[in-house]
Amino acid sequence: MSAARDMLCDTASAVFTEAASVGIGPVEDAGFGLLLVPEADGGFGGDWGDVNAVLWIAGHSVPDLPVAALILSGLGDVDPALHAAATVSLMAGAMGQALTLSIDHVNTRQQFGRPLGKFQAVQQSLAVMACEVRAVEAAAAALAARLDATGGDALAAGFEIAAAKLRANRAVGVVTSVAHQVHGAIGFTEEYDLHRVTVPLMRWRGTHGNDAHWAQILGRQVAGFGGRGLWEAMTARDA
Amino acid sequence: MQGFALYPFDPPSDIAALRTDLRAWLAVNQLQGDLVARANCWVSFDAGFSRALGAAGYVGMTLPARYGGGDRHPLERYVVIEELLAAGAPVGAHWIADRQTGPLILRYGSEEQRERYLPGIAKGELYACIGLSEPGAGSDLAAVRTTARETAEGWRINGQKIWTTGAHFSHIMLALVRTEEGSERNAGLSQLLIDLATPGITIRPIIDMAGHHDFNEVFFDDVLVPHGALVGERGQGGQQVTAELGLERSGPERYLSSHALLVALIDAAGADPDPAVATLIGELTAEMWTLRQLSMSTAAKLAAGEDPMVEASVVKELGNAFEQDMPRRVQAIVTSGWDDPDDLAKLLRALLIASPSFSLRGGTREVIRGIIARGLGLR
Ligand SMILES: Cc1cc2nc3c(=O)[nH]c(=O)nc-3n(C[C@H](O)[C@H](O)[C@H](O)COP(=O)(O)OP(=O)(O)OC[C@H]3O[C@@H](n4cnc5c(N)ncnc54)[C@H](O)[C@@H]3O)c2cc1C
Repeated sequence: MSAARDMLCDTASAVFTEAASVGIGPVEDAGFGLLLVPEADGGFGGDWGDVNAVLWIAGHSVPDLPVAALILSGLGDVDPALHAAATVSLMAGAMGQALTLSIDHVNTRQQFGRPLGKFQAVQQSLAVMACEVRAVEAAAAALAARLDATGGDALAAGFEIAAAKLRANRAVGVVTSVAHQVHGAIGFTEEYDLHRVTVPLMRWRGTHGNDAHWAQILGRQVAGFGGRGLWEAMTARDA
Repeated sequence: MQGFALYPFDPPSDIAALRTDLRAWLAVNQLQGDLVARANCWVSFDAGFSRALGAAGYVGMTLPARYGGGDRHPLERYVVIEELLAAGAPVGAHWIADRQTGPLILRYGSEEQRERYLPGIAKGELYACIGLSEPGAGSDLAAVRTTARETAEGWRINGQKIWTTGAHFSHIMLALVRTEEGSERNAGLSQLLIDLATPGITIRPIIDMAGHHDFNEVFFDDVLVPHGALVGERGQGGQQVTAELGLERSGPERYLSSHALLVALIDAAGADPDPAVATLIGELTAEMWTLRQLSMSTAAKLAAGEDPMVEASVVKELGNAFEQDMPRRVQAIVTSGWDDPDDLAKLLRALLIASPSFSLRGGTREVIRGIIARGLGLR
């Protein structure tokens, strides 16, 4: 990762920590609304790789704040599909946090004289969950790369937006259910942090296009490519 | 695991040209014959195809030129492999030699072994099989009991391997054997490269549930192989095998070996599909596209000399689940009957029957999830 993106992520982490208790104000003040605005127009000149990194952190730590909307507002009136794209990055971050919380929990909570993480059934569930999380992270990163290759053109990146949002939506079920299952009752409380990411995940599954919406769009696009054409189209789009 | 990044897939040459050339080559050299052979095509045997592919420079691509290889970058080979699989090309004859045995001989083998075997592998003419499993050693490879005793003339091998894919057409087997008498578990295991024409070896077919002869039982009755058959370090066989299995987990075959079915589904659906079919095509495409990103990122990491053991296992786990789900989900919505003669029905039946093996070969689902769990810090 570039040094500039490292710095951006450090800034984002610090600002989001503050924003977690006081609201979106510090994020606005720090200028995240200018992230995608070209330097020539007084913006930060960031790319979608930057947006993905920042929103991953936002999904992780401040999933309830409108960080994605703030970043996209810098571009003015955008294609709604770009909101779906941004949501995939938020989802990846929130899923990463659900996984981290779950691992920490099973490594500390003891039952039957052992940490839960020593039980094979628990290990296997978390492995399944980790695969879903990794898949969504990959989808978010690949989508960002495609958006950068197309200059942020939602139409040119339509295939990837549909595929990534659909894949992220489909991961929500496994990720939220395994995370809650391994947590037991404590994960069902208001006090414990897990719901701060799992409830947003449930919400995001239905916003900016649910499964049926994107599956139809993608399925019809692929039908247009034809059987062999799918592979040709997919490889032709490599960044 | 890595958070929000993908490892950049950045091969050194013009990949678009590589794809175009290979597609043109396939248009001429890939027979349009057996449709079902296009599914699960990495076990489809066609010696003529393998030889032609080798002559065209698409086998042993990453081996050094002095051993007959192509001196190409691993990611160039990756692109060739994904093209071959997406086209359903019959790569089964040389598959294991090209993917596993060749690279392993290059890495651990002696100079004599490299000179002797690698040129044939790169020609697509020398085939290999993997002798790990035994009746008493499946997931638990440290339970291997086939022995090799060192004598003045060489190694004397006794015992049995099982489930050995392609042993009946292979020239060599890379076998995991116990070289130290009385040793336990991983200590005392070594890898031997065994010429399958050596006297004392009996190969018996095992017919699988699809009625195919792909795997075998292999018996060793006082088989004598030269001292030079040892590959790598004596006593390090267990570790070498673990590394070898890690390398084979993340390739494009983990999500592309059933691609023929997706192609058939899309073709059968036509340009204006029924909504339920469009939904399924969309879902399968989203999963396949995601798997491709993961597989490419893992390949790029491997090519850069890193050891992405956990990520490779993630690709296998997700790829196996995708390929096992696909025929079930297709069957759930199409009208093709079990015995119908159309392409879709034939592929569907073949893949439904083949699919239980996907999460067994190359490490079972439970073993793979265990590796991922260890990577998460849970074991
Ligand atoms: C099509 C095909 C091709 C193959 N080709 C080859 C080949 O070329 N060469 C070769 O050497 N082998 C080959 N194999 C064998 C394959 O590697 C083994 O089948 C596999 O390692 C599992 O061993 P097993 O079949 O003895 O099952 P077992 O090890 O007996 O396992 C049975 C079940 O129990 C589960 N299990 C076992 N141990 C544990 C545990 N500790 N915790 C939880 N669950 C556990 C397994 O996950 C599995 O679900 C092939 C297999 C197939 C199906």
